[in-house]
Amino acid sequence: MATATTTTSRAAHAVQRDSATRGTGVLLRFMLRRDRIRFPAWTLGLTLLMTYFATALETLIKTPEDLRGLSAFSASPVGALFGGPGFGFDDLTLERFLAGQYGLYIVLGAGLMGLLTVVRHTRVEESSGRAELVRANVVGRHAQLTAALALSALMAVAVAVLVGGMMAGRGFDPGGSLLFGAAIGAAALAFAGIAAVTTQLSEYPRATSGMAGAVLGAAFVLRGLGDMAAVQGAGPAWLSWLSPLGWSQQTAPYVHDRWWPLVITLAFAGAAAAAGYALSARRDLGAGLVPPRPGPPRAAPWLRDPLALAFRLQRASLIGWTVALLVGGVAFGAFTQPMLDGFEDAPADLVAVMGGSADMLSGFLGLMGLTMALVVAIFAVLAVHALRAEETEGRAEPVLATAVGRPAWIGAYLTVAAAGVPWLLLTAGVGMGVGAAVSTGDAGLIDDLVLGHLAHTPAVWSVLALGALLYGAAPRVLPATWAVVAYGTVVGFFAPILELPDGAIRVSPFEHVGEYPLVPVDVTAVLVLTVLAALVAYAAVVTFRRRDLTTPS
Amino acid sequence: MTAAIEIEHITKTFGRVTALAGLDLTVEPGHVHGFLGPNGAGKSTTIRVLLGLLRADSGRTSVLGHDPWADAVALHRRLAYVPGDVELWPNLTGGEAIDLFARLRGGAHPARRDELCERFDLDPTKKGRTYSKGNRQKVALIAALASDVELLLLDEPTAGLDPLMEAVFQDCIREAKAAGRTVLLSSHILAQVEVLSDRISIIRQGRIVESGSLTELRHLTRTSVEAVTDRPAGTLGGHAGVHNLRTENGVLRFEVDGEQLAPVVRLLGELGVRGLTAHPPTLEQLLLRHYGDHAEEEVA
Repeated sequence: MATATTTTSRAAHAVQRDSATRGTGVLLRFMLRRDRIRFPAWTLGLTLLMTYFATALETLIKTPEDLRGLSAFSASPVGALFGGPGFGFDDLTLERFLAGQYGLYIVLGAGLMGLLTVVRHTRVEESSGRAELVRANVVGRHAQLTAALALSALMAVAVAVLVGGMMAGRGFDPGGSLLFGAAIGAAALAFAGIAAVTTQLSEYPRATSGMAGAVLGAAFVLRGLGDMAAVQGAGPAWLSWLSPLGWSQQTAPYVHDRWWPLVITLAFAGAAAAAGYALSARRDLGAGLVPPRPGPPRAAPWLRDPLALAFRLQRASLIGWTVALLVGGVAFGAFTQPMLDGFEDAPADLVAVMGGSADMLSGFLGLMGLTMALVVAIFAVLAVHALRAEETEGRAEPVLATAVGRPAWIGAYLTVAAAGVPWLLLTAGVGMGVGAAVSTGDAGLIDDLVLGHLAHTPAVWSVLALGALLYGAAPRVLPATWAVVAYGTVVGFFAPILELPDGAIRVSPFEHVGEYPLVPVDVTAVLVLTVLAALVAYAAVVTFRRRDLTTPS
Repeated sequence: MTAAIEIEHITKTFGRVTALAGLDLTVEPGHVHGFLGPNGAGKSTTIRVLLGLLRADSGRTSVLGHDPWADAVALHRRLAYVPGDVELWPNLTGGEAIDLFARLRGGAHPARRDELCERFDLDPTKKGRTYSKGNRQKVALIAALASDVELLLLDEPTAGLDPLMEAVFQDCIREAKAAGRTVLLSSHILAQVEVLSDRISIIRQGRIVESGSLTELRHLTRTSVEAVTDRPAGTLGGHAGVHNLRTENGVLRFEVDGEQLAPVVRLLGELGVRGLTAHPPTLEQLLLRHYGDHAEEEVA
């Protein structure tokens, strides 16, 4: 009797163990089929990005002196924050510089690839309800996670081989190239493991990828602080060893060529995946370990008119942009002094973009203002795209079926976006100013940068208004607004190199107010652009009033 | 008394597609008017013209005595709309959306809103992205029914609701009618229209093909008859107004035009009828007849 019971339970146990990963192979093939575009896009994309870095540097750097000039800021603490611990920068070669300064971004991209791939094939599938259909077949409890991790591993290997092969193909040391590739692939595995954990926590795909993304961000900052300490020779350099990105960088390809940090990465990825499996057994299909938070059952009293709705809908985006521009501003601003040092012997073309060697500082600050104006223009174009999505995805219709007129609806949305433009420019200017002031020790730069940034407001408004007009008159060609931003970028950065005629330059709305503090702000241009933007925005409202609403049928 | 909705021969084309081809529709105040037709017949387009969201290419439209394109905002204070496919903002809760719609319309009844949430069994604390289609529909329905309006424009409002909620919905519409509101109820759920409507208009390819009270429409249509007779019913086959005569397991089945019903029943008596069931056509049959005819035309 006792024997019989044991046999039965053993048999049941065997069935369970057998079935937990049943179907993994089929699912993996299915995922490869679904990702037939995504797989090569990620792996080839990262390889091409590295190829671009390598080619660009090869073109830019012709003599050992050029290399030394570039390494001046790379070996500084700021360079370490945005590059790495600078292995072998005292005896710099092109491949050491590539791996030490740009490798970080490929490693970062690989981490993103790993985490997004796992979330896409696990939590997204569950929240859409497709996982239920799949799991109702002869598919084990752990098959989807296993297949998703296997897919990430395949992508990691592909990136490792492609990047390593590409670097070796350029004539760099084959052993170092292979290690460099492997370090990139290992990061993908580490973050696939992290995503295997976070995907168990929340039932919302955005929250799970957000948590894994936050870990990626923390890993970036940790190794940044550690690397800064390392190049200064004082401070908590060990922080780099807490970061999966740090482990990849500590392999020091082309310098020390050590493989053993990757053993840590692999052990970490394995442990994280195991934790993911263990956690997944503690929850139901479709549910997260952290229960969803209920929201307010009633709307806040202020949410009562189109303007309030427009603000509520753009609030998250505005907060995100504010944080990003503040952090980005500080980071860019902190480059000011190293940039000035580094560019003393930079190629002439690069100096020309900065407004000539006469006033390097003003040129750099002015260019940063233009850069941030172009970035905020991206916000403006995206805001109009979001407005269009409100209409095409059917959320505008019920609002317009209430006592809200079309001019009020589009006007409120554009007002919030238009108010966001000077706010974001101010944020970027303050961030950049603080960074530059700390970097150079000159607090007066904050005023210059804030004014230089804010002066671009009417230029960005004109992009916003143009987008709105296209949306009102011909919503299908709205994406054409990107061309204005792209053109502004090309003119802003490459006009001196391309030797564009004056008329072609003046077509860009960003070329009129002037790049303060290099040139004084042209008040007439500010006024004219503002009036033009207002007129175009008015035309947008009128044309939107006259056309049929697009509705999902 | 002026009509709540008056549409005279409107047309609307999207590119080369004709959505409305000379549609006429009149809805009397205080009526529940069923607007029946298959998908793609032009129901939603008609309602969007009534809302002033689309402009008709030609014809005249009047809602509560106003032109909806010119006076959209003023009109929208007096009407509420529930789209067939409700989309909500992913990061706003259902409760926030209900309040927002009510406030944007200009009037909110907090007590009525809470009562409706309870009746429709809606959790207003969940975010828009987590609602099922049926729950999104409830959000729009509650927002519409909680407001103090004269006219309800409902475009397939119960497509995602379960039968229990469907019953709640029917109660709500009866209450709205008792309160003197006018309801335009578009649907292809025929039983719902049949139960609720005072009048029904049937739309086919952008045109109203049939309009009237349920009784009037029945008058135009055939009655389905099943009978068992002592003598063979060969003589019925040639009788005017009798269609689809067949015998299945000894039971005689056929359809008969309304105006020929009396002579056919007399004839059945002469044949020695032992069992007889006759029932009016369901709306399914009404539709099938119109679209069935259409299919034959196309084949021919």
